[in-house]
Amino acid sequence: MHLAWKEIKRNKSKFLIVGAVIFLISFLTFMISGLANGLSQDNAALIKNLPDGTFYMTETAEETYTLSQINENLQKDILEDFEEAAALSIQMGFVNDGEEKQHSVAFVASTASDLFPNIEPGEIVLDESLQEDGLKVGDVLTNSQLDGEFTVKGFVEQAKFSHAPVAFIHPDNYKEMYRTDTMQLMFVQGEREEISGLQAFSTADFLNTIPSYSAEQLSLNMIIAFLFVISGMLIGIFFYMMNVQKFGLYGILKAIGLKTSALFKIMWTQMLAVTTIALVLAIMLSQGFQFIAPEGMPFHLPFDTSWKLSLVFLSIGFIGATLSGLQIRKIQPLQAIQQGEM
Amino acid sequence: MAVFVIENVEKTFKVGEVVERVLKGASLTLEQGQVTALVGTSGSGKSTLLTIAAGLQQATDGNVIFNGYNLKNMSHEQIRQVRAKEFGFIFQFAHLVPFLNVEEQLKLMLEVAESKMSNKEQQEEVDQMLELVGMTHRKEAYPPSLSGGEKQRIAIARALIHKPKVLFADEPTASLDSKRSQDVMALIRHLTKTLGVTTLMVTHDEEMLAFADRVVKMSDGVILQDE
Ligand SMILES: Nc1ncnc2c1ncn2[C@@H]1O[C@H](COP(=O)(O)OP(=O)(O)OP(=O)(O)O)[C@@H](O)[C@H]1O
Ligand SMILES: [Mg+2]
Repeated sequence: MHLAWKEIKRNKSKFLIVGAVIFLISFLTFMISGLANGLSQDNAALIKNLPDGTFYMTETAEETYTLSQINENLQKDILEDFEEAAALSIQMGFVNDGEEKQHSVAFVASTASDLFPNIEPGEIVLDESLQEDGLKVGDVLTNSQLDGEFTVKGFVEQAKFSHAPVAFIHPDNYKEMYRTDTMQLMFVQGEREEISGLQAFSTADFLNTIPSYSAEQLSLNMIIAFLFVISGMLIGIFFYMMNVQKFGLYGILKAIGLKTSALFKIMWTQMLAVTTIALVLAIMLSQGFQFIAPEGMPFHLPFDTSWKLSLVFLSIGFIGATLSGLQIRKIQPLQAIQQGEM
Repeated sequence: MAVFVIENVEKTFKVGEVVERVLKGASLTLEQGQVTALVGTSGSGKSTLLTIAAGLQQATDGNVIFNGYNLKNMSHEQIRQVRAKEFGFIFQFAHLVPFLNVEEQLKLMLEVAESKMSNKEQQEEVDQMLELVGMTHRKEAYPPSLSGGEKQRIAIARALIHKPKVLFADEPTASLDSKRSQDVMALIRHLTKTLGVTTLMVTHDEEMLAFADRVVKMSDGVILQDE
């Protein structure tokens, strides 16, 4: 006999309330992670979306990429030695459109590579978010430090750095604008290798050298961690309370002769059913939110993340239920019998 | 051979520093097809003896022998199986499972007792038992909608549906009025006779003694001579 289902059917409102609470808690967690993730993506999508690889900057730069200057000969050697490699520079700046409107951008210049858009001098490729500002292919943009002009060649998705849309430009233009002869960074795809005179960074390490990024990431991670621990505990406590309320009932079932394992099965089935339904709804709603989120709102919740968060919630619920279940083992049928009317 | 033998059973409870000897060597032999009534003053140890006999708690000393097996030598799981398959209980309150309807209460008991009957046979058995306790018309009802007497009749049906060898009843009529009590007792007696059960019943109600084959008196933790 499916005691677990029979009980849910007879006590719909009770289980609905528990389910609703778990749904709300997990939905809240999903939404906040989506927003936190979105912010972090907004800050570093350009770097995060690169394939696995290694960043190099000069040792003398002391982990500040803007101070790094890769010697031209070394750059040449590296580009020859490694198949997928690029020299790279990033600088914050502005472009002005035809209506003299200023747009804040992160200029990114790279040597020819499959990793970045292919650009000729005088061309510019922008993050798609600038389309919403009214820019379109063929527009002419200017920069105060550049004599010539940029022509918008196209747009790319998910190219953000330091919360600004990325503007890909040719290294020649970059060098003219920032009065330099060298690039700041080397990026080499694949296994990490030491190069003398250069300090190597994994993608994550490199991001952490950017002070604004690491500070922001720290607070976001703390927000998510706290939310997670607290909501996990809430879910655990909820199942615990639900079980404690049922000790009398479990005592009677034991007195009739039900095995303790049968009681555990009831408890687990109910916990899994309620949590799974609540989580599926929370996933659907939070995933759906990506489509209706206002443009420009940083919200990034890969399905993978939802799924992993759900698994963690399920395990926490399971632990909460099982911990209270341990007390079920101790329930004496006699106590239930002596406790009067049920 | 007697079906059920209680031999020199002792029970002491320790509440903090205080040690209370509740049973002081109680002995009683029960015969098949008989209703044995256990009477005595409040606190004399009747319920304690009954629950020890039913395997719901352990004696401090002495033996409880069912069908030649000493409960003392059985594991928890073995005692659970005996309780589920061979014993039936009726208590002062019905203790029905709140989310099962009348019919399901009985089916659950058959399932717990690992009944080998087919679903169809089980259904017939349940219908028959409900007929016997006069509850056929409420077989779809859930406990909250039943009266006290109706609940108790379902509890009796549940205690007997799996054809136990021994029935324990602790003040089964305490929550019922006089007319209902008579009906319930008549039913217990009738079932004891027809199913050949060994029944041990605690009661405070003089009127109920008329339904017993034998009345034994308990006083201060021991069983006195038969009356
Ligand atoms: N779990 C326990 N812990 C401590 N003392 C207990 C426990 N169970 C019973 N007692 C004590 O044992 C004595 C006998 O209790 P019991 O319930 O067996 O009496 P009874 O004869 O059934 O009484 P009544 O007629 O009132 O039901 C009482 O003094 C009671 O307080
Ligand atoms: Mg009693």
